[in-house]
Amino acid sequence: MTEEKPNEKIAGINSEELFASGHRACAGCGEALTLRHVMKAAGRNTIVVAATGCMEVVSTPYPQTAWGVPFIHVAFENAAAIASGIDAALRMQKKRDGINLLAIGGDGSSFDIGFGALSGALERGHKFTYVCTDNEAYMNCLALSSLILTKDGLKKITEVKKGDLVYAFNQNSHELVLKKCSGIFDNGKKEVFELNTLHHEIKATSNHPFLTVEKKGSGKQNSLVWKTLAELKKGDQIIALKNNGSGKSFSFQKIKLAKKGDFKVNKLNEIKLPLISSPDLMEFFGIFLGDGWIRLSRGEIGFALPEGKRARERLLMLQERLFGLKPRLDKNYVYFNSVNLARFIDSLGGFNKPAKQKTVSGWVFTLPADEKEAFVRGLMLSDGYKTGNSSRIVSASFELLKTTRLLLQTMGYRVGKIHKQKKAKGTHCVYRPLLKDCEYGYVCFSEHDDWNIEKYKSQYKYQNFLIGNMFFETEKIQSIKSIGIEPTLDLRVEGEHNFIADGIVVHNTGVQRSGATPMLANTTTSPAGKKVHGKIEPKKPLPLIVASHGIRYVATVSISNFNDLQNKMQKAFAAEGPSFIIAYCPCPVGWYHDFSQAINLARLAVQTRVFPLYEIENGVLSFNQKIETPKPLKDYTLLQGRFKHLSEEEIARMQEYVNARYEFLMGIEGKKAFDVLH
Amino acid sequence: MKKVEESSIAVAIGAKLARVQVFPMYPITPSTHIQEQIAEYVNSGELEAELIDVESEHSALSAAVGAVAAGSRTFTATSSQGFALMFEVLPIASGMRLPIVMAVANRALSAPINIWNDHSDSVSARDQGWIQLYVESGQEALDTTIQAFKIAEDKNVLLPVMVNLDGFSLTHVFEEIDEPEQKEVDAFLPAYKPEHFLDVKNPKTFGPIAFPDSYMEFKKQQQDAMIKSLETIKKVNSEFAKKFGRPYGNGLIDTYKMADAKFAIIAMGTVCGTARVVVDELRKKGKKAGLIKLRCLRPFPTEDLLRATKGLKALGVIDRHVSLGFEGPLFADLKAVLNSNLKMAGFIAGLGGRDVSMKHLHKVFSEIEKAKPKGSWLL
Repeated sequence: MTEEKPNEKIAGINSEELFASGHRACAGCGEALTLRHVMKAAGRNTIVVAATGCMEVVSTPYPQTAWGVPFIHVAFENAAAIASGIDAALRMQKKRDGINLLAIGGDGSSFDIGFGALSGALERGHKFTYVCTDNEAYMNCLALSSLILTKDGLKKITEVKKGDLVYAFNQNSHELVLKKCSGIFDNGKKEVFELNTLHHEIKATSNHPFLTVEKKGSGKQNSLVWKTLAELKKGDQIIALKNNGSGKSFSFQKIKLAKKGDFKVNKLNEIKLPLISSPDLMEFFGIFLGDGWIRLSRGEIGFALPEGKRARERLLMLQERLFGLKPRLDKNYVYFNSVNLARFIDSLGGFNKPAKQKTVSGWVFTLPADEKEAFVRGLMLSDGYKTGNSSRIVSASFELLKTTRLLLQTMGYRVGKIHKQKKAKGTHCVYRPLLKDCEYGYVCFSEHDDWNIEKYKSQYKYQNFLIGNMFFETEKIQSIKSIGIEPTLDLRVEGEHNFIADGIVVHNTGVQRSGATPMLANTTTSPAGKKVHGKIEPKKPLPLIVASHGIRYVATVSISNFNDLQNKMQKAFAAEGPSFIIAYCPCPVGWYHDFSQAINLARLAVQTRVFPLYEIENGVLSFNQKIETPKPLKDYTLLQGRFKHLSEEEIARMQEYVNARYEFLMGIEGKKAFDVLH
Repeated sequence: MKKVEESSIAVAIGAKLARVQVFPMYPITPSTHIQEQIAEYVNSGELEAELIDVESEHSALSAAVGAVAAGSRTFTATSSQGFALMFEVLPIASGMRLPIVMAVANRALSAPINIWNDHSDSVSARDQGWIQLYVESGQEALDTTIQAFKIAEDKNVLLPVMVNLDGFSLTHVFEEIDEPEQKEVDAFLPAYKPEHFLDVKNPKTFGPIAFPDSYMEFKKQQQDAMIKSLETIKKVNSEFAKKFGRPYGNGLIDTYKMADAKFAIIAMGTVCGTARVVVDELRKKGKKAGLIKLRCLRPFPTEDLLRATKGLKALGVIDRHVSLGFEGPLFADLKAVLNSNLKMAGFIAGLGGRDVSMKHLHKVFSEIEKAKPKGSWLL
């Protein structure tokens, strides 16, 4: 760790990454980008103190760390106090010279809860640089999820544990094998590509290996080689999963059954719950997933199946065979009443969810072929139809379509992409008129053509290297395109270094108002309601308050201006006594803007005068980029969901406010506006 | 060297002799004399250390965390409301395994506001992973401050230590103390040389986020270290006794006339001084009275207490804090571990500086001599 590397510079910026990639920040995170560049300016001889916030969460998930320098995180409001202690300790040990002491806090910890500690440390004149990463609200963090095919069914990549059995492709026998997962590692944030074949798509990084067919020319035996995504091109054949073979019937876990006399249970239609899965049961579930619902409190299982629909007859028959309950029927619906059946279905995960969140539970992937077929049959009966050889399943739940598509891919079907459609109220969709405008998706699938392998063996073998293989097939690459930077995880699989995954990244967040939240912005604690339209108060002028402490260097920086940021960090580190930097950090998940727009928004904030770039050196303010003809505020606000509720008048009010703040700064420009005490 | 000093000054002398390097502090009654005295040492040049006059107790303990993490021996002091403001950082300091030493001049918590002594500040933080030592005299305060660093910095311990002394009834009391020679203290307590600290030559991450798959392991290690520290506390006490000739029981508990005692009081802090006199009076009357002074509340010296109470008929427990809605916390702890044949009664005493008089303690003894003793508030 201690070896000194030559300090290579690219366009004046240190090439060394001391805030390493591989941290778990969101794509397009302004804060992570700021830290990366702040660390480039800081260099190795730096001690970092971070306040609680997104950054310590994404950069230090034990036992990993993204920090190439000594780093300490303690609590939300005390980064400046911790820095005070370190400054004193280093001075005491006569090690203070040559070390940059950097305290980092978000806007919540700098403007609000930690303001006292910041003010105290500034007043005491500690030698440290405080960087406030300002994303204008209290933000939380993200989670990763990606679906992996394991012995126990489909699992999120974050749920796969070392030792789990994962499906893999055996390169010698060309068979589907189960292999032990020997490790999971965080691959960091990388450029991710989407590779498309006719029936599959997968997201992967450029160095991710794919198994491809290498053609050796006519008359010669083709072979399989691993190639990285970067080496692949359109037309190459890759190996894709066709079928994961036949599994075992699923043994259901025992659930807590209701008994007669339980609270609120006045009638119990006793039934025998199945212990293991069967084709009939899976077909019943298929129909349920399409058209069913449960009201647990009433012990009701309902189906939206109108009279005359084929699924209705089939459902009644299956139910009779499985449970023998007495149905209640009306023109549009079928109801069964059984508290325990309702509880049973609810316990199976994924089935009993609101229409848009329904999904195929992981265990379905482990079933025998006939049970999976029955399940798809049930789903087709309720939510599908056939045109010619092609079958189509329609749903408002894209999660359901995604998981169904993966299920079909394990069953030997040729499966198309998920298509999105919007339909107006009244149009027919799967034989029924829509009650309101809606967006839904569909996925098409069909059976593989039969090939006469016996007769044309060698001919087909050349066309399709894996002809006759039960589990895998070759597919031609149709396109490879970059889809941006995303966090990635990878698994290590014993023996076979491959596994079967799709790759989807989702996120969630919380956004609460801070003292730094701009006027009229919508946050979860200053919601844009009918009566109050977001945050009422203006943003606290923290840089000016900090400058009033009499410190020698205060500056604003933006990720849209890297060189300016570098210069200012150098000045801050060189300043006598404390120095303060406020960095403007767009937050895609908190500002509700597109992940690709972080730098653009930061630039627009400068160009619209929302976030002017200036520095206050020895009490004198100067602009680094004077905005003579500002862009209209709307250019900036329209890109962000947090401002979408604003009326023209409100935007005009904001514009006025922005103008007034800029004019104030212009008024003190070049003058000794702040006394210097340190 | 023998002299008469205020116990707060004795603590400051202890810190000076321990060669404290960083002293972040925020004044609060009744701990202020400790802080003033150390500030005096630093600014007069008598102690080479960095004084940080922070803007709150929260920042005082935070700065201490930063300073120890950066590799310096660090000390601070507080009381009551200041202690309460520090609360957030208490489990962080212990969770990060930083050997901070802090003197707590025990004082009641508001409201109603009260500046006098009881143990409600420190005892209400007994679950936060700090070793808690309670002292009885100025001499013990001085000696324990020195011992505390040796215990905290032991490689098998690496935990923060609180030296608790009763506000006013000890902090502001003048007693004869014997100030050890610096040379001898240096030999007993070598300079602080941590294995893990913020070092640009060997970067490490302090205070990472632990997910549910590792958080419990951290806590288990902390618990193991706490339990192991029982031995270290005893060892440090006997080493100290050998070098300076002043033992404090076995370091965890100190007993008075317990060898053949049938009835005893257990207490922490200055009450023990009063209890000794009461025990002597009862002994003169032929009663087999005794005293257990609990020096270490956390980690809890279960084994030592079992041994000390063997042969005892009844035990009166004095708590200077009440777990509102339940009873005295020490009483609850003892009931959980001691022999169920031992008769026990809990007494809440001396809250908010209320005098715990000899009369009170006589009452405790006469109560526990009854067939079915009942605890009460010694109002």
